[in-house]
Amino acid sequence: MDFLIPQETLKAVEEVRKWGRDAMRPAGLEADRLGSPLPVDHPYFHRSLEHGEGRTKWRPGASAAGRPGAAVHAMWLAEEGAYWDRGVMVANPGPGLPEASVLAQGTEEQKEKYLGPFIEPDRPRWACFAMTEPSAGSDAAAIKTTAHKDGHAWVLNGAKCFIGGASRSDWILVQATLDASQGRNAQRSFFVEQGTPGLGDFKIEKKMGLKAYESTSFTLQSCRVPLENLLGGESRPKGQAGFKTAMRTFNAGRPIIGAMAVGMGRAALDEAIHFAQETGLIKRERIRDRIECMSRKIRSARLICLRACWLVDQQRPNVMEASMAKALGAQVSQQAAGLGLEILGNVAGTGTHLIEKLYRDTKAMDIVEGTGQIQRVIMARQLVGLPR
Amino acid sequence: MDFRIEDELHLLVETTALFGAQKLASNERVHEHQRSVGDNLQDAYTEMGLADLETPDSLEGAELGSLAKCLVNEELAACDVGAAIALDRLGPALYPALEFQGAAAVAHLQDLCNGSIPRRVVLVIEETDRDPHQPISLHVDWVPAQDVAALMLLGPTRACLVVDGIETQPLPASGLRAAGASALTLTDALATEHWTDPAAASRAQARSRLWVASMMLGVLRATCDFSRRYAGERETFGKPIAHHQGLAFLIVEMNMALEAARLLVHEAAWRLDQGEEASLESASALIECIESARWIGPSGVQILGGHGFMADYPVEKHMREVRTLGLMAGGLDAALETAGRKLEAGAPPLDIAMPTGEGE
Repeated sequence: MDFLIPQETLKAVEEVRKWGRDAMRPAGLEADRLGSPLPVDHPYFHRSLEHGEGRTKWRPGASAAGRPGAAVHAMWLAEEGAYWDRGVMVANPGPGLPEASVLAQGTEEQKEKYLGPFIEPDRPRWACFAMTEPSAGSDAAAIKTTAHKDGHAWVLNGAKCFIGGASRSDWILVQATLDASQGRNAQRSFFVEQGTPGLGDFKIEKKMGLKAYESTSFTLQSCRVPLENLLGGESRPKGQAGFKTAMRTFNAGRPIIGAMAVGMGRAALDEAIHFAQETGLIKRERIRDRIECMSRKIRSARLICLRACWLVDQQRPNVMEASMAKALGAQVSQQAAGLGLEILGNVAGTGTHLIEKLYRDTKAMDIVEGTGQIQRVIMARQLVGLPR
Repeated sequence: MDFRIEDELHLLVETTALFGAQKLASNERVHEHQRSVGDNLQDAYTEMGLADLETPDSLEGAELGSLAKCLVNEELAACDVGAAIALDRLGPALYPALEFQGAAAVAHLQDLCNGSIPRRVVLVIEETDRDPHQPISLHVDWVPAQDVAALMLLGPTRACLVVDGIETQPLPASGLRAAGASALTLTDALATEHWTDPAAASRAQARSRLWVASMMLGVLRATCDFSRRYAGERETFGKPIAHHQGLAFLIVEMNMALEAARLLVHEAAWRLDQGEEASLESASALIECIESARWIGPSGVQILGGHGFMADYPVEKHMREVRTLGLMAGGLDAALETAGRKLEAGAPPLDIAMPTGEGE
């Protein structure tokens, strides 16, 4: 057993820390005051590109195998980035959530076409993954967006909601079903490029927190895409492959979301500690004990996230650990923000302090990528065979 | 970063688990009733090398670290924590001896225990340091031991060893009866040895807390495992009770809490093995175990319902024993005090404060 953090990771975390302090947090506070996402042409995004963000890890002809320890490395960076502003982190340009699916399942042509522009992007570019629908959130197997073949095209119909960055994305990887009666077995992912006729009705939602990135609903109305836009092509394995591809994305992503929540919780705790030290409250035992409790809970959630990511790196199953990481990370971040509010007291009530923003922001972490309740259902299936 | 347990250590853990299953678990009620473990069991424990896991190499011990001890403690305690304490004659009293002086002090403690009647050394953690030149009078309401060879008093910077003048009074005890139970009194006793070193005291406290915390992990695991299995077998309203979401979620919460506590213990132990002070981490790990014990123990009983309340099942024993364990090594408040003082002094609790290096 070894909890040593490699030097390379520490250096990368230090860079994120500098960038977070200088750019991410100010941008997040600006968006929060603005009450809407940072516009596409915001200088932050150009700075972000110059800073080296917004790029794909894919290279033509390169092996798909990741470097050793990649998931644990990514976890530390996710925690640190979210410490400074999780909303800005999600708003950052890049191939985003669908990149892992494309890398794992995409054909070489698809990788070239959809990830290629992210190797050295000429401008900030975005991509996104669209699973959630108005009537299918946590129950991802119940999506109603359909796809059917018509000549040389797939025709998509349906509605998606709460999709991060959809209106500004070059392409959207849309999850749709070939036959709703077959549940998850019939799900597939389709590349839908921005401007495709039938893709529209973009509506950017007003949110309580995490305002820096857009959460957008849109519709697909007889939206025709070429046959080659089916992720992985038609020759790949049938059965639950489509659904499993999406779930694999989530299983690798859940501990990262958990780590982001840990980062936000750490930020809230730091605000609380800083305030308690400045005001002398830290000398009060009941304050001190609550801070100890929170730091312990965040530490344990971090360790659980690390373990879940380590299992990803070992290519071992991590369903239980990934759900645990997501559930606990989200839980402790909300608790930390709540504790921060209480320790700062009326200062938090002014609505001008970072802790108040964190209190709003952290709530989302228990909802996105599977609510805390869904995570517990997943764990109960593993532990006691809870029926579906 | 690596969560694997090294092969050699893994083998030790597996062997210990087998020993626990064969020798401890099947006799836990017998040990509890007899308030002791037999000589044969003690011999088997010693022959396996479990008595000398952390003993220095110069004393023919394995000189393993805190992580190894925590892993072994969890396995033994999952089978019968009272017996696990009884078998470990020096218990956490080993740590002041090791940290302040090393092999010579450890050898002395071993000699004290190895008389015609097997005896144990008891550790008591105190808020303030004793003046080692003044007679010591004190009363300890409960220690999980019957025949006490020596008392190790550990303060913030100093440890005092008392060998003579220890009076014990047997007690019924709430839990851990297999280890024995006594009230302990000193009247104008003198310390035969004493050492002063703040860093050694801090590390000894930290290791003692992990000794307790890892024992607690074992009991918590036993509760989680037993109640989960029971909930999968017992049926109400036409399905296993585990499939009612009220219980399914409770079982999930219990297992999450166990995993969280275990990782805190392992990380703190690893830090100690790296030579760190790790007093905040060790205190926090113990606090987490104690807080989890507050509800996991009773939840285990609750899942079994009326059966859980009966001595036919082990969960009532787990519930008593895990809480009693949490009273050892200064218990919750002393750990909170240590952690609180570190935080007050400005210790960064969560900034990436892990040891750095070239590890992968």
